[in-house]
Amino acid sequence: MFERLVGGPGGLVPNAVQQRLSAVALYAIGALVLLFVLTPIYLMVVVALQSPQTLFSGGELTLIPPTLTLNNFVTLVEQTSTVSYFLNSVIITVSSVFLSTTLAVVSGYSLTRFDISAKTLVARAVLFSYMVSPIVLAIPLYVIFFRLGLLNQYVSAILAVTAISAPFSIWLMWQYFQNIPIAYEESAWARGASRWRAVRDVVLPLARPGYISVAIFSFAVAWNDYTMVKVVLSDESLYPLTVGSELIFQEVFIGWGEQMALLFIISLPPFLVAAFLQNYLMQGFNLGHGE
Amino acid sequence: MIMAKAITLDGFTKRYGTMVAVDDISLDIPAGEFVSIVGPSGSGKTTLLRMIAGLETPTVGRILFDDKDMTTVSPQDRPLSMVFQNIALFPHMTCRENVGYGLKIHGMPKAERDQLIDEAAKSLQIEDQLEKVPSELSGGQQQRVALGRAFVEDPDVLLLDEPMSDLDAKLKEDLRIEFQRLHRELDATFVYVTHDQREAMTMSDEIAVMRKGTVEQFGDPETIFHDPDSEYIATFIGTPSTNIIEFDADGELARRGTTSVPLPAEARDEERVRVGFRPQYLRAGGGEVEVDVLVDVIEPLGVDYVVHATTVDDSSRLDLVTTDVSKLSPGDKITVGSRLADVFLFRADGRRIRSGAEGGVDL
Repeated sequence: MFERLVGGPGGLVPNAVQQRLSAVALYAIGALVLLFVLTPIYLMVVVALQSPQTLFSGGELTLIPPTLTLNNFVTLVEQTSTVSYFLNSVIITVSSVFLSTTLAVVSGYSLTRFDISAKTLVARAVLFSYMVSPIVLAIPLYVIFFRLGLLNQYVSAILAVTAISAPFSIWLMWQYFQNIPIAYEESAWARGASRWRAVRDVVLPLARPGYISVAIFSFAVAWNDYTMVKVVLSDESLYPLTVGSELIFQEVFIGWGEQMALLFIISLPPFLVAAFLQNYLMQGFNLGHGE
Repeated sequence: MIMAKAITLDGFTKRYGTMVAVDDISLDIPAGEFVSIVGPSGSGKTTLLRMIAGLETPTVGRILFDDKDMTTVSPQDRPLSMVFQNIALFPHMTCRENVGYGLKIHGMPKAERDQLIDEAAKSLQIEDQLEKVPSELSGGQQQRVALGRAFVEDPDVLLLDEPMSDLDAKLKEDLRIEFQRLHRELDATFVYVTHDQREAMTMSDEIAVMRKGTVEQFGDPETIFHDPDSEYIATFIGTPSTNIIEFDADGELARRGTTSVPLPAEARDEERVRVGFRPQYLRAGGGEVEVDVLVDVIEPLGVDYVVHATTVDDSSRLDLVTTDVSKLSPGDKITVGSRLADVFLFRADGRRIRSGAEGGVDL
C-alpha cells in the first residue's frame, strides 16, 4: 500500500536510491541471520578445539583460543564408543535414505502415472501421516517389531526411521513427477522403449533434482532421529550417535571440550551434505518451476 | 522390407466416463498417403491420433495396419514414429542422442547410428546443432531435430500431432515444405493432426474434417473445398470463410429480395435455406445470385483484397476476395453476386442440399 508513496516506479524516492536501500537492507538482514546461526556454531567449534587448561583460563570462557588442540577428539576416539556409534549412524542413515528414496520414487511415479482409484485421497493420507508426531508412531511400531521379533536389530531402526521420512518423501516425489510432462515418456514409448526403459532413460534423469532432495530430506531425518531409535533399540552396541552421545556424556572424564567435539562430529555430515547438494535441494523444492 | 502401411479404423470410439471424445469413426487411410485430420479444439482429433499411436485404447472398435489387427498392440510394438505438439525432445540428451534414441533402443551399433544421424542432420540442415542440447536451440530447430528422430527411424507410419502450433508463420512455411519433402523421401503413411485448415489444405493428399468426435467429411483438398458435405465444412475450410446468407424457401425457389435460387426436388419442404458463397467466387457488380451489401473494411493482401461487408437488410457478414477495389470505399452500397453454379445450398440444420437433375447448382 506504500508502493505509490515511497517505492516502485514513480514513487517519492528515486529508483537508484531505492535499489541501494534494498541492497543495504538485504545485507543487514543477512548479517543478522548469520550472527544468530553462527554464534552457537562458533562456540561449539572453539570449545571443541581447546584444552581444558585454556578453556576457562582467567575465569571467563576463552573465545579466541591461544592454541588449538585435537585432544578432545582423540579422547573420544580412544576412550569411548564414538567410532562405533558413528558407524551405526552411517549404516542406519544410508539404508534409510536408500529405502525412503526408492519408496518415494516408486510410489510417486505410480501415483502420477497410473490410474489408481482415489489416488488424491491416498496421497493426502500419506501427507497427513507425516503430520503425526513420531512418538505416536513409536509405540505401535514397538509392538509390531516385538511381535515380528525384529527389536534390537539394525533393520528395525532403519524401518522405524524410514516410517518417519517416507510420507513426506513420497508426497514430494509425487509432486515432482507431476511436473514432468508425460509427452517425454510417450515419445520414448512410441520409439520402442518399454515402460522400464523409458523410466530409466528419460524419467529418472529428469527427476534427479526431485529424488536428490528427497534423499537429503530423509538423510536429515535419519541422521538426527532420536525417538524411534531409542524406542526400538536397547542394545548399546547398535546405538547411533544421537542416542549414544547420551551415554558418552555420562562418563566422568567427559568435559565441555569432549562434549562439543562430539557435537561437532554429529554436525559435520549434515553440513557437508547441505553444502555439496544445495543446488539440487533448491531445484527439488522448486518442483521444477524455477528452471 | 519396410513399407508404408494402410490404416483402417473400424468403428473407433473413445469414451471418458460419459464424455464421448471420438464417436464411431470408420476410415480407410491408403498406404503412403499424406492424410490430415483437421478440426477445432475439442473435436477429438488428437484423441484419434493417440489411438492410432496406441497411447490410448479405443473403448470400442478396431484398428488395422494393412490387414493386421493392431488394436491391442502397445505403442512400442507399432511400426510408427510420432512427432509431438510440444516437441518432447529429451532435455537431458544432446540432439544427436535424441535423434538416435529409437535406434539405440532397437540395438543398432553406434557407428551405424551415427551414420544415419549424420545423413538425417544433413537433410534437415541441423548438422551444427547435433552436439547441443535442445534448450540451446530455437523452436524451429527443435522441431527439425524432432523430425530427424522420425527420419532416422524410417517408420511405416508417421504421426504428427500439431507439430507447428507453437511456431511462427515464417517457420511454418519452411517446415511445411520439410514435411512434404520428408513424405516423398520416406515410404510412410503420414497422419497429420492440425487445427489449421490452411496447413491441411496445402500439404495433404486427403483431409478428414472432424467435428464433435466424428469425421464430417473425408476427401482430397479440392473436393473438400469445392464440394463440401455441410455448412460446417464449407465455413471451416477456406480463407476467408464461406459466407452464409439465409434465403426464404417456398417450394421451388429460395428467394431473397429480387434474387432467387431454384431448389432441387428433395428440398421443396424446407422453409428456409442457407446459401453459401465462397468469397473467391463473389463479384462486385452482381451475378446470377445477388446480394446487396454495405462495404465496411477493405484489407489489402498484396495482389488480392478482402472486402468485409454486411448485408443491407439483415446485417449478415459477407466477405469477398477481389483484385480490383479502385471503385470501392468503406460505406459504399454495392451489389455482389455469384454464378448459380458456384453457390452451395444447405438445409437449416447445415446439411448440404445437392441438386438433382433440375437444379442449377450442380458442380
